[in-house]
Amino acid sequence: MATSPALDVPPEQPPHKRQKTATTTSSLHKPNPSSPPTTDVASHLDTLERSKYRKGAKLGSGQYADVFSATLISDPTRIVAIKKIKVGPEAREFGISYDSLREIKFLQELEHPNIIKLHAVFSTKNQNLNLVLEHLPQGDLLKLIQDTANISYTPADIKAWMLQLMRATWFCHQNYILHRDIKPNNLLIAANGEIKLADFGLARSFADPFQPMTYNTITIWYRPPELFFQAQYYGDRVDIWSSRDVLFRAWPETEMGMVKLICEKVGTPTESNWPGVSKLKGYVTPSEITPLRPFEYWKQSFRAIGDTGVDLLMKMLTLDPRKRLSADMVLRHGYWTAEPRPSRLEDLPRKGGGAEAMGEDLTRRGGEVPEVNGKGGGKGGKRGDGVARKIDFGGLG
Amino acid sequence: MTHALSEDDIYRTSTQYRLWSFSPESLAALRKKTHDLALERAQRYACNDNGDVEFLTQEEELRLVQRYCDQVRTTSDHFKWPVNVEATAVQYLTRFYLTNSTLTYPPKEIYKTVLFLACKTEATHMTLSEYARRISTEAEVVLAPEYKVMQALRFTLDVRQPFRALKGALMELLNLAEGMVGGEDGDGDGEELQAQMLDVPPPPQGSKTQWKHPGAGKVGAEQLHDRIQAAYSAARNLLDAPALLTDVYLLYTPSQILLAALQLADEPLTSFYLSTKLFASDSLTRPKILATISACADMLAAFSPSQVLTKDDRNALEAKLERCRDPSTRDLVKAFAAMRQDGSGEEGEGVRKRRRLEREKSQKEGDDLFGPSLQRPKANGAGG
Ligand SMILES: Nc1ncnc2c1ncn2[C@@H]1O[C@H](COP(=O)(O)OP(=O)(O)O)[C@@H](O)[C@H]1O
Ligand SMILES: [Mg+2]
Repeated sequence: MATSPALDVPPEQPPHKRQKTATTTSSLHKPNPSSPPTTDVASHLDTLERSKYRKGAKLGSGQYADVFSATLISDPTRIVAIKKIKVGPEAREFGISYDSLREIKFLQELEHPNIIKLHAVFSTKNQNLNLVLEHLPQGDLLKLIQDTANISYTPADIKAWMLQLMRATWFCHQNYILHRDIKPNNLLIAANGEIKLADFGLARSFADPFQPMTYNTITIWYRPPELFFQAQYYGDRVDIWSSRDVLFRAWPETEMGMVKLICEKVGTPTESNWPGVSKLKGYVTPSEITPLRPFEYWKQSFRAIGDTGVDLLMKMLTLDPRKRLSADMVLRHGYWTAEPRPSRLEDLPRKGGGAEAMGEDLTRRGGEVPEVNGKGGGKGGKRGDGVARKIDFGGLG
Repeated sequence: MTHALSEDDIYRTSTQYRLWSFSPESLAALRKKTHDLALERAQRYACNDNGDVEFLTQEEELRLVQRYCDQVRTTSDHFKWPVNVEATAVQYLTRFYLTNSTLTYPPKEIYKTVLFLACKTEATHMTLSEYARRISTEAEVVLAPEYKVMQALRFTLDVRQPFRALKGALMELLNLAEGMVGGEDGDGDGEELQAQMLDVPPPPQGSKTQWKHPGAGKVGAEQLHDRIQAAYSAARNLLDAPALLTDVYLLYTPSQILLAALQLADEPLTSFYLSTKLFASDSLTRPKILATISACADMLAAFSPSQVLTKDDRNALEAKLERCRDPSTRDLVKAFAAMRQDGSGEEGEGVRKRRRLEREKSQKEGDDLFGPSLQRPKANGAGG
């Protein structure tokens, strides 16, 4: 093994010597124990930021963070969410975790109405990282669309949600950032009904397309076929697949089950519809080959989104990532301007009422009217007509 | 409905632009302030009896940091990490010392941390234990300053780099040479541009490119292709040491840096390329853009590897630093361990108390187990 260039650097002083120098100096020359501690511009700013907020109740906790609500001390009507990164035992092997570094790195760069806003980051005395995020009190899209007892939604609602998601995805890709974990529970809902893409813990930049990436990211249900086949080089099209993955009503437990499902619903990836696919390291498909499903087949399952919707869907779920639409092409598709137009924000279905909603009244801006029972008040004449139910939004994302 | 965002639009929203871009004057002022602050603090800890402690000058601080930027580069190369890790780590180190003095945090103790952090933020995988082993360091030494570094970086981790855009320029030049591109004004004829490109005068003496005009006769398509490739590699080399060991990242945008590098590589080719891009810009902004690129090129050209401190010079400076450094930040590992001991969050006080009780209890039990000691240890046990 070549010698490390770092060996060139003089070694640390032995600890006892360090200690000694430190104590002598401090005992000799620090007669005044209250002399100000080491401080610099950056730590001063950090302290300032930290002292801006008053922490409130816990909003939830995830795998690697606890989220609290907080108010600005200078203006208690302004609410934020503070996401405090947990320091687990793995910190010994990695230091600050990859997930939190990625989340901080990418959210600091992205400012878009459909991407969760990171207002600031600060650290506490105990070296915990805290992310000050915009407060999104309406839960996530998965909870909303699964709450079929209280909520129903129309094709126009679907279009409105999808449009916001696609705008967020487009903006990420413009910034050379792949989200890689697009799914309904990572889409949080703002007080005004806007959808916000969150959780950038798996994101990465694709600045250099020649750098191999890991293929086992993305929850399998939203994972595009190229990742099942262990492609080392992939691009923005992975997010597109995840973004419009509405067709799989089943939730297979294994990767192979998911591949099967893709073959059945979309068609079997072969050299003719995806040149080069059989050379991918992990290329395995069921022995029986399903030809690419034609328009009519798709239409049977997705009548509710109309012909243009089905056309877009097929292009977003094209097997070969090179032929799959980019976010930019998706946004240029005729679906968005076809009837019905996307619902207005204020018409979108909301989370059901109850104690939670009462608590959240405090967070509403002046003039906003709370939704009655999440049914969108009297606006929803078309709601619950059963058409929208044809689309299983368990898989939207 | 969508309009493509230009590289410039995107760059202006970046933290690099918002927090880490300076005018030469503001950069100098910030560094001076940091240095002065460190000296002021030093007056407090070093009011020596004989009073003749010599402090590092601001220039010496800068040279030492530059030396460790180079150290980051060689260490990253040793791991065969991609260039983006290297560039990010170097910027982390540079940014760290904009608000911290080497008197407080000697770079010898920081550079390993920034490199490991950059490895993580640039999606390169290596465990801490392997990293520490291969640079013959203890893991704690790498981790101890990590939060300090995060704080100094103002929790911004993204470093915009010129490498991707340089590849983009290469592609565009090759397309121009193939006659595949019209001018920016839309009606430019690809073939006409191709013809003009073949007529671009040869690079003058002193250009960084290896390409030489074949002498007699006109340049053919194949030679043009070689010329472009040679300009690219020369520019790419300038993006290594010269771009990373000077202040260009703090003063210029990635596209200005890459155009400056191309200009040093092959000026006539670059000015032809710029003319196809700046066609639409007005007579006021155009000279401004060109002047900025030239200023950046001057800074890159002025760099020479001999400016980097030699090992002996560095040792001498560090010996001097050892005599004048801030003693309160001397043992970061210990401070870090104490921080971790305090546990997580606001319960710190409670946790500390519980720990103390536990410690006292185990000490008692220890005493019982081994019989009462004749001489009680002064501190709470040795090591532990
Ligand atoms: N900005 C926010 N506003 C309101 N609640 C939030 C916000 N962010 C997260 N939460 C709540 O905290 C929970 C955990 O947050 P999450 O970001 O998913 O953490 P993790 O990354 O550890 O999974 C979420 O499920 C949600 O209930
Ligand atoms: Mg989560």
